[in-house]
Amino acid sequence: MHDNVVDRSKDITILELLDRVLNKGVILTGDIVISVADIDLVYVGVKLMLSSVETMEQLKSAKSIIEKNG
Amino acid sequence: MTNNKILCNTGTVNLSIQDITDKIEKLEKAEEAKLKLTPDNAESGLAKLVLTLVELIRKLVEKQAMRRVDGGSLTEEEIERLGETLMKLEMKMEELKKHFNLTDRDLNINLGPLGDLM
Amino acid sequence: MDKIIYAILSVKEDPEKLMAQLNTMKGILEADLYIVSYEDISAVVSDINRSDLIADKTNALKFAELIENLAEQFTVIPVRFGSLVESSDRIKKMLERNYNKIQNNLLEIKNKVEFGLKVFCDPEKMKAEIKIKAEAEPLIESIKSKKKSIYTDYLLNKLKEHRFEEQLLAHVDCIILDITTHLKQLNPIQKFKKMVSATNIIDAVLLLEKDKKELCINVVNELQNKYPDLSFMLTGPWPPYNFVDINIK
Repeated sequence: MHDNVVDRSKDITILELLDRVLNKGVILTGDIVISVADIDLVYVGVKLMLSSVETMEQLKSAKSIIEKNG
Repeated sequence: MTNNKILCNTGTVNLSIQDITDKIEKLEKAEEAKLKLTPDNAESGLAKLVLTLVELIRKLVEKQAMRRVDGGSLTEEEIERLGETLMKLEMKMEELKKHFNLTDRDLNINLGPLGDLM
Repeated sequence: MDKIIYAILSVKEDPEKLMAQLNTMKGILEADLYIVSYEDISAVVSDINRSDLIADKTNALKFAELIENLAEQFTVIPVRFGSLVESSDRIKKMLERNYNKIQNNLLEIKNKVEFGLKVFCDPEKMKAEIKIKAEAEPLIESIKSKKKSIYTDYLLNKLKEHRFEEQLLAHVDCIILDITTHLKQLNPIQKFKKMVSATNIIDAVLLLEKDKKELCINVVNELQNKYPDLSFMLTGPWPPYNFVDINIK
């Protein structure tokens, strides 16, 4: 039971951290976030849309962010 | 690795396993979405963008209408007409979503306080 | 080679200390860290081949850890994971173009850290409480008419939903006001998100001075005692990820 609590704490900490490093922090490109009434509506990757197909293929081959096993 | 950053976490309701799973799904989807936008699927990406905006506007219009109704300033007939318009708008939106094979989740729209609680 | 950017900081204070620190650390794929500067602001970077950057959890966490280490000693503006730039020259130009914005931001976050405060509810309890309030409101005359139609029914339902929502938001706003009042003594900059999920009714981030941590914990415990049906979760301290929303092109 104690282990569960500790594990969850770790999970939560990692989740909070990932949420910040993946979604927050300064954006260094021309990405646009369209925001209406405090709702982040659409995250338009202008940079991605204008990227060459080649770059897209490279990004596509990147592994997914969250491994299934956590 | 990372230290435990939880300073207080008491109380009976906490971030549940479901919440954590949902959040991870959301993070995954966001990254996936960024990766998926290629010239090939740019069209459906565009459809998503447009429908998302249209849906938002529809919801705002609906909200505004409800405020007016609640305000009590509309006549019976106006209310009837309003109901008809809103209903048809919603039906049309459902049609569009079906046509492009998009769900509310795809459109990244938080269903609002109602979505999960109703 | 491309560059990964980890953070932006000011070298004015202690350039030697910064270099010394960077020499003890390694970046993604064990690359060396160095800085690219424009006047007194610098970006902390490491080299990488675009195709080698695997966007997985391990690298993301490593990236975050690096920022964390830097933030302990310096005032840093955290950069989002995955920012690649083609050359040092591009970086210099970016820093130059956004010089003022960056300086202002650094000033805002100096000696401050971020805390996260999430408030959870029991959806069933909350639903029950709010429903009572919402349904207590009288229906409007115009709808009470005998003439029923699918349109009026539709509207009626929408109205019920609307009232429920309004009550719920009003309730949450009340709690936020209370939280704000309690936190006032800490003089924070705060941002709130409401109704993030069925259970997470408030998702707030606070920017406070580093030494206010204990005080903050006390305040949150006070709030927890005041609202036994809700759960308050305080996390931190974090580097100020949520307080650097400058867009650097």
